[in-house]
Amino acid sequence: MKELLMGNHAVALGALKAGMTFFAGYPITPASEIMHFLANKGIEFVHTEDEIAAANMIVGSSLSGRKSMTSTSGPGMSLMQEAIGLGHMMEVPMVIVNVQRVGPSTGMPTLPAQGDILQAKHGSHGDYTQIVFYPNSVEECYRYAIEAFNASEESRSPVIFLMDGFVGHLMETVDLDAIPCAIVPRTIPGLGGGNRHFTGLLSKNGIPCTMNSDYYREWFQKMKSKATSVSDRYNFFEYLRGDDAKTLIIAFGIVSRVVLPLIGKYSLFRPIRMFPVLEKELKEIASGYERIIVVEMNDGQYKGEIERVLKRDVEGISLIGGDLDPTVVGEKIEGLSNGKLESYPTEAR
Amino acid sequence: MANWKVTLLRPDEEHGFSSFQDGVFLLFFFPGWWFLMSYKDYIKWERMPSTWCPGCGIGIVLKYAAMAIDELKIPKEDVVVVSGIGCSGRSAGYFDVESLHGLHGRALAMAEGVKRGNRKLKVVVISGDGDLLGIGGNHLLHTSRRNVEMCVICINNEIYGMTGGQMSPTTKKGTVTLTSPEGSPYNPVNAQGLITSNKDHFYARSSVFHLNHLKKSIQEGISRGGFSFIEVISYCIENNGRRLGFKDAPEMLDLIRKNYKVNPSPAGKLGDLELGIVKT
Ligand SMILES: Cc1ncc(C[n+]2csc(CCOP(=O)(O)OP(=O)(O)O)c2C)c(N)n1
Ligand code: SF4
Ligand SMILES: [Mg+2]
Repeated sequence: MKELLMGNHAVALGALKAGMTFFAGYPITPASEIMHFLANKGIEFVHTEDEIAAANMIVGSSLSGRKSMTSTSGPGMSLMQEAIGLGHMMEVPMVIVNVQRVGPSTGMPTLPAQGDILQAKHGSHGDYTQIVFYPNSVEECYRYAIEAFNASEESRSPVIFLMDGFVGHLMETVDLDAIPCAIVPRTIPGLGGGNRHFTGLLSKNGIPCTMNSDYYREWFQKMKSKATSVSDRYNFFEYLRGDDAKTLIIAFGIVSRVVLPLIGKYSLFRPIRMFPVLEKELKEIASGYERIIVVEMNDGQYKGEIERVLKRDVEGISLIGGDLDPTVVGEKIEGLSNGKLESYPTEAR
Repeated sequence: MANWKVTLLRPDEEHGFSSFQDGVFLLFFFPGWWFLMSYKDYIKWERMPSTWCPGCGIGIVLKYAAMAIDELKIPKEDVVVVSGIGCSGRSAGYFDVESLHGLHGRALAMAEGVKRGNRKLKVVVISGDGDLLGIGGNHLLHTSRRNVEMCVICINNEIYGMTGGQMSPTTKKGTVTLTSPEGSPYNPVNAQGLITSNKDHFYARSSVFHLNHLKKSIQEGISRGGFSFIEVISYCIENNGRRLGFKDAPEMLDLIRKNYKVNPSPAGKLGDLELGIVKT
């Protein structure tokens, strides 16, 4: 059945479809609709005292046997970082949705942004390999919410689901029943019956092991290859080839929708799995282009990642400030391509 | 499961099991098998000696919490112990049941997730004063208000033991610590007041000297069917006591004996030096 749905509701529906039966969260613009929607869906639902509680609570509920999720925006995401690291250490499947708004701090609460890209990759302290998805439509919010649960079960790690205020509040007609989906069942037995010890300390078979550097390296390698090999099965991206295009635009989330009218003259590479960066796919596709322009609503966070992977000059357009005018975006890309603008024209519009 | 059976039925002098098979037989065919259990079955002996300093009060709480659970005949598979971070926070890892050792201050949030995730589980939280009343104070306020069923045992040694002896929210006014070299300028937090400000509440104060009382309080707390908070007066010899001039742990224990008295029927509120239970 076709219906008019909001991105935030679609994520919630995707989570329910994936088998989520526990949600904890704290209200924040522009993510609140997710929790409003889930408040009466017959699942275990907690409006917590803060985002720290929400994130720690889903660690507990996931371990006790329920697929679990929380949702927030920048300020709450910052509060959740320690628990995300805990989820990695304890190997807990859980999904954290961040509907991005303009930061830092309270910033511009009602305006969309893509400023939490690097936080999603490395927001918690220490080294870990984070899987991150970022949809660009209402349909994808549903589809990739399911995949986020699947990937978190398979990798036994927290998965971050990035959105932006725009995608979260986007209304589109979709037919959810027509979207094919496979659901990965729970991969760890719920608490009870054993004598496992889950700890945030480095541990070997549940016994803290905090002075063994060799074991740390061995453990880290194991964790890293686990996340990488699982994420290989979730290598989602979109590639739109413009005939004779010599420039590749890289964009994601709402920006990838805004640049669509330019595709033809330009090509578009849109990562959906933002992290680990789709290195193989990127290298292959980028090799056919003279120029690469990353267009994003931040000060070049993903551009740095692309440069790191491709080891070549990459240009960028930074659309900060929360407003998104397709004409301006078009002009900037054109200006950059014909040499009238420099990379990073952040100053004036 | 397999693990659990093996540990439970490990032959030891107390049970005299001759073989693993005997144990399995008893477990399944002898309906009163739990009479053969003791608190020892709830503890991971292979992890001893513990990380705690000799003489530390935390070990006493570990033992009496295990005794309380054992005497309530709660099957091991239904018990989950949750801790935060600190010396007290290491408790969870020594229980031979499923256990979680989370973030500093967040034990209650994680424990609430566990309980709401599977209501069959009996959740016991063991953590420190800094963990539960300081950094985790907000969660205490709200988990207690939501009256989530769990028994919270707060080992109050009036100090941040693990990090070397800094002032904690329960440090008494005037006490010298690493972060209050002139003596703490503040009054300690009133845990009783905080918990009993909830319309529906269970607050107990006990100590590592008053062992029977400690065990009974934990048992009542676990059986309550809602949120229960048990403040256990303890001490830290290495990172607090010695600085204050105590020679050894027994000296500190003796001070608890002298200072605190059990009040078997407090009228709505415990005095500062009284032990007892205040509940609705
Ligand atoms: C977020 C965070 N801040 C600080 C610490 C360092 N830390 C570890 S234990 C502790 C104090 C614990 O005190 P308490 O809860 O009273 O436990 P005790 O060691 O006294 O039993 C601190 C500050 C930490 N682990 N995490
Ligand atoms: S430092 Fe203090 S609280 Fe920690 S184990 Fe030693 S005596 Fe106990
Ligand atoms: Mg303490």
